[in-house]
Amino acid sequence: MLVKRSSATAPGSILKPAGPKRTGLLGALADSLEAGVSRRGFLRRSGLAAGGIAAVGALPGAMIRKADAGPVMPNVEVVTRKNVCTHCSVGCTVIAEVQNGVWVGQEPGWESPINQGTHCAKGASVRELTKGTRRVKYPLKLVDGEWQRISWDQAIEEIGNKLLDIRRASGPDAAFWLGSAKFSNEGAYLFRKLAAYWGTNNVDHQARICHSTTVAGVANTWGYGAMTNSYNDIQNSKALLIVGGNPAEAHPVSMQHMLRGKEHNRAPFIVIDPRFTRTAAHATEYVRIRPGTDIPVAWGLLWHIFENGWEDKEYIRQRVYGMDEIRAEVKKWTPEEVERVTGAPGSQLRRVAEALAKNKPSTVIWCMGVTQHTVGTANVRALSILQLALGNIGVAGGGANIYRGHCNVQGATDFGLDVSTLPAYYGLAEGAWKHFCRVWDTDYEYMKGRFGSKDLMEAKGIPTTRWFDAVLAEPGQIDQPSPLRAMICFGHGGNTVTRMPEMVKGLEKLSLLVIADPHPTTFAAIKERRNGTYILPVCTQFETDGSRTCSNRSMQWGERVVEPIFESKDDYTIMYLLARKLGFADEMFKHITVEDTRPVPEDILREMNRGCLSIGATGQSPERLKMHMKYQADFDKITMRASSGPCAGDYYGLPWPCWGHPEIKHPGSAVLYDTSKHVMDGGGVFRARFGVERNGVSLLADGSYSKGSEIEDGYPEFTMAVLRKLGWDKDLTPEEMRVIQAIGGADIDNVSWQTDLSMGIIRVALKHGCVPHGNAKARAVAWNLPDPVPVHREPIYSPRPELVKSFPAIEDRRDFRLVQLARSLQFKVADSDLRQRFPMVLTSGRLVEYEGGGEETRSNPWLAELQQSMFAEVNTKDAERLGIKDGSWIWVYGPEDGGKAKVRALVTERVGSGTVFMPFHFSGFWQGESLRSSYPPNTDPIVLGEPVNGVTTYGYDPVTFMQETKVTLCRVEPA
Amino acid sequence: MARMKFLCDAERCIECNACVTACKNEHEVPWGINRRRLVTLNDGQPGERSISMACMHCNDPPCAAVCPVDCFLQTEDGVVLHSKDLCIGCGYCFYACPFGAPQYPRTTDFGSRGKMDKCTFCAGGPEPDGSVEEYQKYGANRLAEGKLPLCAEMCSTRALMAGDGAVLADIYQERSLRRGYGSGAPGWSTAYGRNDRGSAFAPGGPSTGGA
Amino acid sequence: MRPPLHALLLLIALLALPMAAQAQLYQVPGANSPTTKEQVPLYVPQDDKVIGRVSIPDEKLAVLIQPEGREWREWRSHTLRLAIGGLAIGMTAVLAIFFLYRGTIRIHGGKSGRLVLRFNWLDRFAHWTTAVSFLALALTGVIVTFGRPLLIPLIGHQAFTPLAEVSKSIHNFVSVPFVVGLLMILALWLRDNIPEKADWLWIRTAGGLFSKAGGHHPEAGRFNAGQKMVFWSIVLGGMAMAATGYLMMVPFAFSGIGGMQILHVIHGLVAAGLIAAVIGHIYIGTIGMEGAFDAMGCGEVDENWAMEHHRRWYQEQLRKGYVENRHPAE
Repeated sequence: MLVKRSSATAPGSILKPAGPKRTGLLGALADSLEAGVSRRGFLRRSGLAAGGIAAVGALPGAMIRKADAGPVMPNVEVVTRKNVCTHCSVGCTVIAEVQNGVWVGQEPGWESPINQGTHCAKGASVRELTKGTRRVKYPLKLVDGEWQRISWDQAIEEIGNKLLDIRRASGPDAAFWLGSAKFSNEGAYLFRKLAAYWGTNNVDHQARICHSTTVAGVANTWGYGAMTNSYNDIQNSKALLIVGGNPAEAHPVSMQHMLRGKEHNRAPFIVIDPRFTRTAAHATEYVRIRPGTDIPVAWGLLWHIFENGWEDKEYIRQRVYGMDEIRAEVKKWTPEEVERVTGAPGSQLRRVAEALAKNKPSTVIWCMGVTQHTVGTANVRALSILQLALGNIGVAGGGANIYRGHCNVQGATDFGLDVSTLPAYYGLAEGAWKHFCRVWDTDYEYMKGRFGSKDLMEAKGIPTTRWFDAVLAEPGQIDQPSPLRAMICFGHGGNTVTRMPEMVKGLEKLSLLVIADPHPTTFAAIKERRNGTYILPVCTQFETDGSRTCSNRSMQWGERVVEPIFESKDDYTIMYLLARKLGFADEMFKHITVEDTRPVPEDILREMNRGCLSIGATGQSPERLKMHMKYQADFDKITMRASSGPCAGDYYGLPWPCWGHPEIKHPGSAVLYDTSKHVMDGGGVFRARFGVERNGVSLLADGSYSKGSEIEDGYPEFTMAVLRKLGWDKDLTPEEMRVIQAIGGADIDNVSWQTDLSMGIIRVALKHGCVPHGNAKARAVAWNLPDPVPVHREPIYSPRPELVKSFPAIEDRRDFRLVQLARSLQFKVADSDLRQRFPMVLTSGRLVEYEGGGEETRSNPWLAELQQSMFAEVNTKDAERLGIKDGSWIWVYGPEDGGKAKVRALVTERVGSGTVFMPFHFSGFWQGESLRSSYPPNTDPIVLGEPVNGVTTYGYDPVTFMQETKVTLCRVEPA
Repeated sequence: MARMKFLCDAERCIECNACVTACKNEHEVPWGINRRRLVTLNDGQPGERSISMACMHCNDPPCAAVCPVDCFLQTEDGVVLHSKDLCIGCGYCFYACPFGAPQYPRTTDFGSRGKMDKCTFCAGGPEPDGSVEEYQKYGANRLAEGKLPLCAEMCSTRALMAGDGAVLADIYQERSLRRGYGSGAPGWSTAYGRNDRGSAFAPGGPSTGGA
Repeated sequence: MRPPLHALLLLIALLALPMAAQAQLYQVPGANSPTTKEQVPLYVPQDDKVIGRVSIPDEKLAVLIQPEGREWREWRSHTLRLAIGGLAIGMTAVLAIFFLYRGTIRIHGGKSGRLVLRFNWLDRFAHWTTAVSFLALALTGVIVTFGRPLLIPLIGHQAFTPLAEVSKSIHNFVSVPFVVGLLMILALWLRDNIPEKADWLWIRTAGGLFSKAGGHHPEAGRFNAGQKMVFWSIVLGGMAMAATGYLMMVPFAFSGIGGMQILHVIHGLVAAGLIAAVIGHIYIGTIGMEGAFDAMGCGEVDENWAMEHHRRWYQEQLRKGYVENRHPAE
């Protein structure tokens, strides 16, 4: 008998009943092998000789594949490689079977503690990426509207020369470097570094448009901008509240843990969303709210909690600053007022509040329904404060479980692909630059010289939500010497930002556009551009190696499955080639080995480990990460901690903070701010990030500390001064002291745990059971934000103009080098007749089959087949009134710039009456017209559709310039 | 002796389509052939449930009963397979199948459907296990390698389960007891309600209803 | 074997609207929660069609469970075979008994030797196009219907599949000439097949078939009531066959699964009736009646045959001068 694959064992079957049953099943499986005999018996009886029948020739072509096209090659060695899914942030292990350098089969990654063998539609189809029928196959250049194939040498030479010309004429800030949440950590870090050596802070990535407000909101509340617990930990939750998130479609594998939590704990599963989502289908309680009213809902919940005394008073006393100011605001939100503004009945919110308060630990999960608002940061803060009031932060089963979007959006954010910070949230101040100049072994003066000025070096750059405004701006309207003239875009869709009609104009005006991506993306298919566009074929993460950080901060090392296909190259190589052409490769890669033209990712990670102290991204050495991948089976499926094997004691993927040198073997922190554990066991406290005192009130924790701490109270972050005061400076080794002295020079007191490259201060703090970042209170009031206490503000395009005067948007302002309109525009809209002309609310979201801008997934036939047309969900009643049939074509009109989209109607009860929902993954149609012919030949995605952002409108969060995608107005008409 | 079955726990299914793409991936199933699909009931309303459906490998398969050329066989572990060498693409099995499992490639617009294709429980076809011919006609034969169908192995929430019916029932009942309610085991009464176990048969045999 | 009534019941069941009721799937823990594993039901009765929504553009796949498939299976496996086989065999048996009783119906006056043109070449072309197509369709249909119990045991699976495959193709393609023939006979003979009062007499006396002496035939025009019945059976039945057949060739283009099943049932039932009718037609046109085959064979019939069976038509031919009048007026 021929055997398809080298191994015929059943590693961990899906059916895992205890003891004898398992053998029963395996016995049954063995029996199934016997069944082959009867099958051949069938062959005999039916008069067929195996493989020898004329009728084989009569099989229609559709079901016949050439032997070499299919995965089966009997008797060829199969190599198994382990990588991580490149779609969402859950971080599912992908097991690839490779024969002769071709990825031929995908097997379940049973051993992964995260996905435990499972996948969603996207994960189960990733093998297609390396077949790549629709991929960009070689570098391309747009010449008079025609795509021309060019060589890599020519591409780099021409792009480099144009960039250098622009730099000479307009300064380094005239280039916008758009990176990707699909980079590995090493790629993200390298890209940030590339922008620094180029001399600009105009470097951003997708986090801007997914969770920038989360990062800003939670970091300003308790210290770090990340999910506090993990997907697995939700199995410990006694109640789940999902606000503005649809994990059933966006993070399907997380639902495995959530549904287990729901079932095992009989936990209330509450979904608050304007739309009855696939997640809501599994809810025990579904609350429909008007889009854009999350803060009133959160305060409505807190109203009941405070009213009934359900809050955790001791927790608040010890660990929360400013809750009384919150009480004052919450008092305004009586059940009647909440119902008036949000539409959610008071009695229902009381039930929800009680469920959360009486089934603890309860967790709050949110996603882009909360973040993508003009009040995104305030939304995030309101939910964080809700969890603080309930005492749910820093507790297994509780937490703010923020589901990040892309596979490495957490990592790319951590490693500084951001206009406002260097890697690891060091910011842009002089101290931060000096720290990284030390890490990079680059002269600070040299670095300063790369920038237009020291001011520009320390000023936040232009974010991806507004880049086209910075292209179209007149000089003088923006706070940098020149408008943007070039965009270098790695791994980022072109349909992801709102106000696409404006974006198209911006695109037209750019003198240089470089798209480095496995797929051409929407940017390449905009008809208006006829010259000056280059496409560089980048391989996927399956064709290179590196680490990526899941939403729960675990870092996983992905192994290269196959060599880059066609002429594609990996991100590292392309960045090196660009840096070399631009003339700073030697400086930039001083301590990173470059093999041929490929920087070695392990070396990049080691450099990151050396410098990214502030988030504890120091202990995750490539060796440790690889060992975790190899010994996945040793990790517990709920706690994620290994109890045996070489990783014993570690949490899976060393979720940051993983303090100190890898050698001290910090296990990582599965649950942030968890005082029930010793810091060397992953315990923690709220970060002392905002000083020690405010208006005479201490900001440090009061009598709360992590287990085993020698300081049994709050304490500030560790610096040399603090160490000296405590007398712990004697614990530093001479070598550590030498480094500290070298950094601090005359004034070593200011050397802190964040800048001490010897990591001695961290080591000493840990030795005494203390957390290096200090032990403070979480801030219910964040005085440095535009709204220190979150207050409700109506969206710019509010469907309730009568509420606008009571809940106005923030004042118009300037930030990120640009003007931000808010209140003036909101009032103008409210005072106009827009509401009559655009009577419906438009909101947007995700489909399980597609991801992000969707070019990659819409190019995958296995996924594309499942969603073949762009649609808009219209409520049954509205459809009846407007004469719209399910499946018919409709026009959706937006109130700005003549925005419109022709899509199919999906008549459904998922949306409430008056609300329209559109998925955001589509592109390739523009206002009723197909752009298929504009794509480079053979790279057009299988499924094209109208981008929802052709209809979305103005509106930005004041803290991060997050775009408003969830509330605008629209009109729907049958086409 | 195992009796292979599928069980989709509608309480767990979130319509993520992993089963569908896993199937496409494992067997290189062409566009338009839906060996497995997701159906959502009461869409958009409280009580909405999604169910993953494919050939259920019935005890007494109606497809086999109505096949004019008698191309079906049921293995000893209850998996219903068919021979594409014998199939004439008449389409009768689709009319008889309670679950809409049989699929046909469209070869021409006039009257000729291609050979029927359907879920094989990842058990290939009548050809020798693991042979190239088997793969080309029916896809991979995981059962012969001691693995279960990939759709169930990859199911994101462990809603879809595949394996010995007794074990599935045990897991499902245990789970339902724990959470306090079942989900109806959609399709079980239709597929497996008639006899407790399928009688393995060969073409032309008495239990096919063919005579 | 099931009673043929079954088919009717199935039709009614299929035509009934899909039931709105769906399986109870949504529950919460409560007082009725199971306390033992055994209390969790595995076999929840499922008798109604369950229809949902699918994202793939294939509406027929939105049907999750269609229990009617079981009914259709009974139809396909038993009822259909019983209907076709039963009617065909029944008709043959009746004819055999009739033949034994009556023998070939002779021309009462013997052959006159003089011929009169009954069907011109166009008539005959139309007839034989329809007839040959029908026989091909019937035969291939019967092969697909009965091949499994009857032919596979004889020739084996390997040989039967090509036969069935060819049969399927013939069945599909020959439908075209069949419909052409059908339209031609409709155009050519419609006028002569309009029912009239005299047909009642023919029917009441059963066309004189049982009057062994053969002396008296009810008067008939070009076609007697029996022939009219055959005509209308073939035309209407054939149309029904064509319509249902073509719809089945483009499966699901105009209907869901229930409609497809109904189409097949209609196709089968009409086929059974037509096959039986055609057996009777062939009988009476060949061994059943002397001189009848000539009408479609060479087109000309004996004058005496015409006098006896279609006197009114014959007289009309006389009146129009198509035939030389050799009989003095009565």
